[in-house]
Amino acid sequence: MEGLLVSSKPKIKELLVESACEHNKGHKKGPCNTPTPGATTGGCALDGAQIALFPFADAAHLIHGPMSCVGGAWETRLTPTSWPGRDLTQTGFATDINTNDVVFSGEKKLAEAIDHVITHYAPEAVFVYSTCVTALTGDDIDAVCRQGSERHGTPCVPVHAPGFVGAKNLGSRIAGEAVLRHLIGTKEPEDTTPFDINLIGEHNNTGELWRYRHLLEELGIRVRSTFSGDGRIASIRTAHRAKLNVIVCAKSLISMTRKMEEQYGIPWISCSFYGMTDTSNSILAIAEALGDADLIARTRALIAREEARLEETLIPYRAVFAGKKAVLNTGGNKSWSIASALQDLGIEVVATSVRKSTEADKAKARQYLGEDAILMTSPASQQAQVIDDTGAHLLLAGGRSLYTAIKKRIAFTDVNQEKKKSYGGYDGLLVLAEDLKNSLQNPVFELVDRKAPWRK
Amino acid sequence: MAEVRRKTGKPLQVNPHKLSQPMGATLAFLGVDRCMPLMHGAQGCASFTKVMFTRHFCEPIALQTTAVTDVTAVLDGGDYSITESIKNIGDKVSPALIGVHTTGLTETKGDDLRGVASKIEAPLVYVNTPDYQGGLESGWTLTVQALIEQLTEPCERTDARKVVLVPHVSMQPIEVEKLREFIEAFGFEVVAVPDLSSSLDNHLGEKQASLSGGGVTVAELEGLADAGTVVTVGASVKPVGATLQKKNPAIRHRHFAHVSGLVGTDELVAWLLETSARDTPPAVVERWRKRLQDAMLDSHFSIGQTRFLLVAEPDHLAAMAASLREVGGKVALAIATVDSPVLGAIEADRVIVGDLEDAEQLCDDYDIIIGNFHTEALAHRVGKRAVMRGFPNYEEIGSALKNDVLYEGGAYFLFDIANAAERMREAEVHHARERIKQQGAAA
Repeated sequence: MEGLLVSSKPKIKELLVESACEHNKGHKKGPCNTPTPGATTGGCALDGAQIALFPFADAAHLIHGPMSCVGGAWETRLTPTSWPGRDLTQTGFATDINTNDVVFSGEKKLAEAIDHVITHYAPEAVFVYSTCVTALTGDDIDAVCRQGSERHGTPCVPVHAPGFVGAKNLGSRIAGEAVLRHLIGTKEPEDTTPFDINLIGEHNNTGELWRYRHLLEELGIRVRSTFSGDGRIASIRTAHRAKLNVIVCAKSLISMTRKMEEQYGIPWISCSFYGMTDTSNSILAIAEALGDADLIARTRALIAREEARLEETLIPYRAVFAGKKAVLNTGGNKSWSIASALQDLGIEVVATSVRKSTEADKAKARQYLGEDAILMTSPASQQAQVIDDTGAHLLLAGGRSLYTAIKKRIAFTDVNQEKKKSYGGYDGLLVLAEDLKNSLQNPVFELVDRKAPWRK
Repeated sequence: MAEVRRKTGKPLQVNPHKLSQPMGATLAFLGVDRCMPLMHGAQGCASFTKVMFTRHFCEPIALQTTAVTDVTAVLDGGDYSITESIKNIGDKVSPALIGVHTTGLTETKGDDLRGVASKIEAPLVYVNTPDYQGGLESGWTLTVQALIEQLTEPCERTDARKVVLVPHVSMQPIEVEKLREFIEAFGFEVVAVPDLSSSLDNHLGEKQASLSGGGVTVAELEGLADAGTVVTVGASVKPVGATLQKKNPAIRHRHFAHVSGLVGTDELVAWLLETSARDTPPAVVERWRKRLQDAMLDSHFSIGQTRFLLVAEPDHLAAMAASLREVGGKVALAIATVDSPVLGAIEADRVIVGDLEDAEQLCDDYDIIIGNFHTEALAHRVGKRAVMRGFPNYEEIGSALKNDVLYEGGAYFLFDIANAAERMREAEVHHARERIKQQGAAA
């Protein structure tokens, strides 16, 4: 509990200029944090912190702020858990501050709210999130959390991610910082193995983690803790004893793994579990990083087995996808990770969006897609022309691009479907294949743009 | 009448269904044609709101943010961030109106919205909607009042045929349309303010979400004050009547708490007949009344033996409770998001301002839940059945086209509820039989 007594706000500047983050190469200021008034989309730091921490289903998530900050957002994170107790990921807690709290401080209310949460829901920890209003009025959530921890013996962790400090990405880093400062290293594990790893940035969205964790376990690689999918507070507190940190598709948490390397000597690697190729590469990379010859040999055997199994189940789809071309309009690392999955299915990816990608993502997209592919920097205005030029059969994008597909009479798949279903790991590729097949064979995209009977 | 508890008595909300005032303001602006709602706050305030309405309506939503940062929060009084936003919006689209609404953040730092707005040339309406006050209903109403106060030109003559219709926030787009057409069928010309029926009614549009794709036009808003009557539906929008009357004291104000069920619709029809000097309603109205009468008789057996929990905005509670009571439904508990003058008039055993934790604790009191998508998980936890109504509904598609009002919608509403109640009872019978079988097998 000693560590819990020392609590202070993260250094925003330091998080913004993360040296290991690709976004920051070649920039003087922190480019991750410059929202333009009237031309900004995407969530705030609080949103990012929620995304990062809400998957801890054994911890309560208490938002100290008004209803905008949680009203439409709770119970929306599809991050399942195997925690046998009440699923607190899907339980909304908010102090719902009123004028009185703004004028006279909401600290007393917050303290009482913490009491209520711990008394009625017995969480393993309480994450207390500040918001713009309570940050501005200066409620001392550090002190309230410290006193709450002392009063109940349950860690109360302040998360200083009010929305105005930046975008989702920064909020995710702040969440990592809070866990690093207040939880990691506060407990010693009962046993350790040479193959203990932490999965950082794996939120188990739609059960993605469960698509590959059993394979790691089969190899004797033990997932000591996850940040934060299907996570447990008790295990994240022992995360400092892992032998390797694996970042899963989350650049924003590089600060966390870099600091864990500095503080605890844990090396880190970055992985993606989208598609067959990436899943195989990632599992092998983990084995290689753990550096055991026998483990590596067994890993190669497992990969061969899984790939052979998958190839066989994919045979019926091969005919459907043969000769099909796709345009991909999505952001960040998805620009290449989904592309890789599509290629595994035998679909040619003729264009992808690199609008929000880092330099490394762009290079990777180029490497995956080849010299002839189009890297779209302004996909919204480019994609219709690109579809014409390439003769693409399928557009994978967010809902806003649906009309482009209909106008071009080609099949459309909402890439955000993966928020409802998992496309991760070997088995996820089958799910993706089925969804794409259904899209390609669905008559709706041609029918819906049919000329109305009264139009000549 | 009902036992009413107007305060939660808790230091927090657990599993809240309450939504914020700026969210109500955004939705109201989305009912104005070619409008860009501009939320004055941190980017997350707008993002959370946009995501919520996008998922509820299954439509892209036009909404921008002034993206206040920690630096502008301290150094700027809104002059920079609002002016800059309007310039940047103008670079991409040409809105007929920009709807600036504040949040807790910008109210706490004390921006002088009115002062900033007075210096801006672009067509703009501003409204103060801190999210530490009120809720979805008040944000909607304040915005409607701001639209009228700032856009409507004063007028001295009235056109008896013209009706301004102000629906409460929980009326879905198709319900606004049905009500507008219903009044029009009596020979009136109706302007709905706001009008979600042509903007968020799930129609396929080309320019997706660059601006609101329909709604009441700015020209119509400017010319509201020659209406003969302003009709407000729902206690939350009642004050709008007086707001419009300030522009023209000759306008008559007719208020309805709701337009649901047989009695509620009868009251509207009686008034429409009187005002239009007609003896009989249009034939289609008569026909739907007969269908509703039949639906009431067909559904009364099922609904009459069912105890309900309603979870919604106050005006929505009043409307649904009235419909259910007409066929003997026992509204055991109604949980409102916020306090409202209408709470005392809701036909329920108990009315409280509260959250879904309250609902869970009182789960012995009811069989069927009617509420937003959060009540689905609640129903699973407490072993009940839920029917989705209200904001937000992420569980189902088609919310915008779900009609519960007037004779017509009233019939569909009763069918929906009665069928849900029957399915629940059938499931109970099935489980009981399975248990008996298992006991038989074990013996």
